[in-house]
Amino acid sequence: MKGILVLEDGQAFAGLSVGVAGERMGEVVLNTAVVGYQELMTDPANAGKILVLTYPLIGNYGVAGKFNESRRSWLAALVIKEKTRICSNWQAEDPFDHFLAEQQVTAISGIDTRTLAVKIRDQGEMWGIVATKPSNPAALLKKLKAHKEHADQDWIREISVSRITKIKGPGKGPRLGVLDLGVTHSLVQQLKHLAREIWLFPFRTSAEKILEAGLDGLVISNGPENDASLPEIVPTVKALLGRIPLFGISTGHQIIALALGGRLQRLKVGHHGVNYPVRSPASFKGEITVQNHSWVVDADSIKARNEVAVTLQNVNDATIEEMENEALRFISTQYYPSSPGFDEIHPVWSKFTGMIAPEKRS
Amino acid sequence: MPKRADLKKILMIGSGPIVIGQACEFDYSGSQACKALREEGYFTILVNSNPATIMTDPGLADVTYIEPLTVEAVTEIIKQERPDAILPTLGGQTGLNLAFFLMKEGILSRYGVESIGASVDAISRAEDRDLFKQAMHEIGVKTPKSGIATGVEEGMKIGLDIGFPLILRPAYCLGGAGGATAYNKEELEQALASALEISPVHQVLVEQSVLGWKEIEFEVVRDCVDNVIMITSMENVDPMGVHTGDSIVVAPSQSLTAEEYLQFVNLSKKIIRKVGVTGGGANIQFAQNPDNGQIVIIEVNPRLSRSSALASKATGFPIARVATKLAVGLTLPEILNQVTGRTTAFFEPTVDYCVFKICRFTFEKFPQAERVLNTSMKAVGEAMSIGRNFKEALQKGIRSIETGRFGFGADGKDRVKDAELKKPAPALHREIQQKIRVPNDDRLFYLRYGLKLGMSVDELYDLSKIDRWFLDNMKELTELEAKIGKYRNARPTGAIKLPADLLKTAKANGFSDVQLAHLLNSTEAKVRDYRKRHGIQAVYKLVDTCAGEFRAERPYYYSTYETENESVPSGRKKVVILGGGPNRIGQGIEFDYCCCHASYALREEGMESIMINCNPETVSTDYDTSDKLYFEPLTFEDVLNIVELEKPIGLIVQFGGQTPLNLSVPLHRAGVKILGTSPDSIDRAEDRKRFQQLVKKLKLVQPENGTASSFEQARRVAGVIGYPVVVRPSYVLGGRAMEIVYDDHDLAGYMEKAIQVSPDHPILIDKFLEDAIEVDVDAIADGERCVIGGIMEHIEEAGIHSGDSAMVLPTYTLGAEILEQIRLNTAALAKELKVKGLLNIQYAVKNNVVYILEVNPRASRTVPFISKAIGVPLAKLATKIMLGQTLPELGFTQEKPIPYVAVKESVFPFIRFPGADAILGPEMKSTGEVMGIDTTFGMAYAKSQIAAGQKLPTQGSVFISVKNQDKRHLVFVAKKLQDLGFQIIATSGTAEALVRNGIEVEVLPKIHEGRPNILDYIKNDKVDLIINTPAGKATKEDETKIRSHAILHGVPLITTLAGAEASVNGIESLIRQPQMQVKSLQEYHRDIGVRASLYT
Repeated sequence: MKGILVLEDGQAFAGLSVGVAGERMGEVVLNTAVVGYQELMTDPANAGKILVLTYPLIGNYGVAGKFNESRRSWLAALVIKEKTRICSNWQAEDPFDHFLAEQQVTAISGIDTRTLAVKIRDQGEMWGIVATKPSNPAALLKKLKAHKEHADQDWIREISVSRITKIKGPGKGPRLGVLDLGVTHSLVQQLKHLAREIWLFPFRTSAEKILEAGLDGLVISNGPENDASLPEIVPTVKALLGRIPLFGISTGHQIIALALGGRLQRLKVGHHGVNYPVRSPASFKGEITVQNHSWVVDADSIKARNEVAVTLQNVNDATIEEMENEALRFISTQYYPSSPGFDEIHPVWSKFTGMIAPEKRS
Repeated sequence: MPKRADLKKILMIGSGPIVIGQACEFDYSGSQACKALREEGYFTILVNSNPATIMTDPGLADVTYIEPLTVEAVTEIIKQERPDAILPTLGGQTGLNLAFFLMKEGILSRYGVESIGASVDAISRAEDRDLFKQAMHEIGVKTPKSGIATGVEEGMKIGLDIGFPLILRPAYCLGGAGGATAYNKEELEQALASALEISPVHQVLVEQSVLGWKEIEFEVVRDCVDNVIMITSMENVDPMGVHTGDSIVVAPSQSLTAEEYLQFVNLSKKIIRKVGVTGGGANIQFAQNPDNGQIVIIEVNPRLSRSSALASKATGFPIARVATKLAVGLTLPEILNQVTGRTTAFFEPTVDYCVFKICRFTFEKFPQAERVLNTSMKAVGEAMSIGRNFKEALQKGIRSIETGRFGFGADGKDRVKDAELKKPAPALHREIQQKIRVPNDDRLFYLRYGLKLGMSVDELYDLSKIDRWFLDNMKELTELEAKIGKYRNARPTGAIKLPADLLKTAKANGFSDVQLAHLLNSTEAKVRDYRKRHGIQAVYKLVDTCAGEFRAERPYYYSTYETENESVPSGRKKVVILGGGPNRIGQGIEFDYCCCHASYALREEGMESIMINCNPETVSTDYDTSDKLYFEPLTFEDVLNIVELEKPIGLIVQFGGQTPLNLSVPLHRAGVKILGTSPDSIDRAEDRKRFQQLVKKLKLVQPENGTASSFEQARRVAGVIGYPVVVRPSYVLGGRAMEIVYDDHDLAGYMEKAIQVSPDHPILIDKFLEDAIEVDVDAIADGERCVIGGIMEHIEEAGIHSGDSAMVLPTYTLGAEILEQIRLNTAALAKELKVKGLLNIQYAVKNNVVYILEVNPRASRTVPFISKAIGVPLAKLATKIMLGQTLPELGFTQEKPIPYVAVKESVFPFIRFPGADAILGPEMKSTGEVMGIDTTFGMAYAKSQIAAGQKLPTQGSVFISVKNQDKRHLVFVAKKLQDLGFQIIATSGTAEALVRNGIEVEVLPKIHEGRPNILDYIKNDKVDLIINTPAGKATKEDETKIRSHAILHGVPLITTLAGAEASVNGIESLIRQPQMQVKSLQEYHRDIGVRASLYT
């Protein structure tokens, strides 16, 4: 069966439908990672997006339950060059095909993703519509334009836990909370190594309610950006600032900036991949990070608040990657503080736990 | 961190001659390093014995030494130049080992030289098997069970404890030399002995075999502030058990999950930190159990390597350039990524394509060697291809390797025909299974046969342990092949009926027009025409380091079949240079050198230079050598596609060796303009009949000759000429299938084999001029005038391939009259052929007659050697001539005499082919060359021998065993050796002749007569030099044993009389002048008044 992607400027890319039939609209975002398709599809930050994978061969190693970053795929649609026919890896529980079907993902392959990527790079991220029925591109475009006008990005409401959920850690360490805006499974896994108890809070939990729990620190999690729920969350975080150690991750980082009175800016093309260099403005030492965002904190809007120290910048475009404030006891990262591998913890977590009173840390 | 200001002068060590396991990737990395050091303002001193490299061009380093890579020679250079630091990580294992020994002998500390790039500690931790194991265990990285042995007994004990099969890895060895797999006690004992022998520190690792595990590699770079980046992952298609240098490799890895990938990254970071690389790169090899993901580390190379060259070319990230800058203290964020021009080197490249590396083997040259692949590297070259999927990359890779195949079979060249596969005989079935199970250079095609037999992916996996993902992709290709085959025409004249969408699918999966023509029973031209009529044309995508995320300033290109073409031709005048493709014996780095010079010349002349090549090891495929680079196979179809897009003013085919030359006629016929000497002139020189007419017309003398297409014809020709005759196919390089034949019987045998070599061209038969002196001439001509670059005299007599022969410039035994005759003949040929560019002629001189053997109107193997000897960049000048300039305009109007002597010596891969006989003949066998340069012939020759690894002794015992006809001449050699203080050892026959002439000889029994014989002497280090000229079939078995023992035990071996004479001359020089003198190329050139600007 044929499939097609039509961009909001009218350009069409024809391919084959390899997922479930449908007609899906969303922002088209690229991701340049070579591996990790399952993780990306289930990362809530990609909710509602048409995800284009620039690596051309997808499905090679199948899928496995443990690689899910959340309970399901949140994509509007997936656009790839080639879905490989078999999967081969000892960890594979299911072929990629099954995953697409089970997750009800609309997906098209056979797309010249390189051309698509170059176009997005040059013209910026834009909306698109993926359709699997034989359809007229002009009609699809019309539909897309109509939809985009009223499109409301309201994903956090759906993704966030519906009630406070407690997770047990290894029996040592502090008690930590997560304001769940779409936290990824792998971050929770790291937390499990750090904390003896983790509380996941629904996104609209009030500051008072959170403080009542008497936790030692709170993570404002990653999740969809520019979401309809943000105006509701920002005041909560504002109320929490200075009262409990905070760690904002990606969207959580943006929310802290907003809570401080800063502004956000949209990048022409976001950072979506695993190869983004960040470094301290004061040294040449840095690291390569995983990122998935289209918005950044406007540096000027934060500069005015000199209590905030920018500790890491993006090496390519100097955008803010990490900031902190000792007095307000927060640290936030635009990048994902992913585990370096095995069961290890990203070093930035220790900065966060360092804000917790020593007697509560262990 | 700013670069280090305490360093001013830096000495770089090159990797020496091209050998198996160490090829032109080190010219690529060394050249990049030279450029990087000078860019940062350091005074750069380079030493390398290999004249065929770009890095030894006098313009690249401030001071260039072409001297042997020995502690002695480099010590002299250090004394003379007093560098502050030594950079040993760009010169392969050779460079690293040399630095290590310089340190061990206290040279570095004595002269205050710091080792940068990799500290001596880091080198030790990576190379010393014990230290390495311990270091890995300290960071919790598993290694295969293993033990280190310094003796056979110790090794046996370790091996029996671990259990079979076992892998043996000698310490400080390159390309897995001496490595072996042992399945039983007997094999272990044998392998231990040779591995201990080959290791320069007599240490061998006996290791648990992880045969069949996945082999995964990571390229890692780390700077002095501990920023670590991954350049790429690579997955070996051939699992553990085949040396990675022989394996088919893909980048990035295809079958790892994100979690596994992360684990490898994590381990790699820990490992590079633990090893202690603080400003440079490392290659890390892992094995992974495909059933449970268990990972063990195999090895770390804390230096630039073949894999890092591949990783560079696969991603666009210039590892050597970056590593060099890191070595002088810069950090990754301070270095610009020149490919994007807008990001820094502090990022991890990502790709949106699949890279495929495939190796070029040379078993046909060593028929006695077993045709299997194992842990000792055997490949002589490699090609890299890029596709948007694995299938496309695979098929392009097979085309790129230039073994006459056009894809994954289905090209009419399959050894096993489809019809045979329909109902396979049991023997065939077994053969196919066997060839899939035991790794060999033909395994890909046998996998296809297996698939066509209906074997399942699982069955193939069980036999080969090649990951099912790769196998299934291959299966898809055979299925596609079958689909296409349904549209086969009954007659070749029929119109093509293949549906356009299927054609497009086929092209996107890498099928060549030749394959399609075969499957459709049509012709390549028709398929091309049909394809273009349907608008199905190649488009070009970028290698840009970032999967399109950033706009690229200096990308390179590969073809695919998709919607949009990203290669936009400029409005400039442009010229396309065809490169030489994968290295092979007979066509190697010398030609890449010439192609690079062509590119430099074009750019000097304001012309856009466009390079087409597929060899990832080379300088020509570096991102900044040409204005534009196409990483593509060198076939008619692939080249024509580019030409049609770029519309250059012409093509340069003279420089890439036989590969482009073979394309010149079909391309010319297709309307492509060939620059320089016309294809017709090329054909007049290559086609025997036309060549004969040419010789006649110019009244030159040729050995009597004829051509034949059958044995009967051949016998008639041989009868007229008289034996011995030299027989060879036309249009081949490196003396492929060239033999000296002494009788009808041998001739019959030869004709049988030879017909397959080049079916379109007849066999050439020449009278063999026994004991003639061979002469090679390289000249340059502009259509009117011709200037000799150099006349080189071969050391070895006629009958030894010119690529294997040592050569000396200037000639040392030829009289003025003969030289004049040679000059006149050369000029006459150049004029008659209207040569515009380079010309190489081989002559033989016998009884004062100058015979003309061969004319090659193209760059020869010796162009870089001569260019360096005389200080004139011949290939560059030749390029400018092709663009219309004349020799007077270029200021090169006279042959340049030199007041010193330059010797070119060849280097052989015999040690890689156990069982192969180490003798020279008309078929070329050498992989590389070195240059010895000094004021006298003796010293220059001695240097060339030392540089080639032939350690001429200055005292001790010499074993002599020669054929009858050499005995008389040998007396002189033996006498001289005795006068120089050597003891002479011989077997009865030779001894008798020597004793008669008053030479004292220790007589040894022949091998089959008794012991101790010479083999015992070799094993017990009781002989320091062996002179053994092959006597023919009768004593062959004994001789082969002597020679192979000599090779294995590193005893210098001389197999020709002329070589013996020259060596004695060299030995005498070494005795007379025990302290080696070194002198830079720039100084030599200054002596002859060469303008330095010629090279820059």
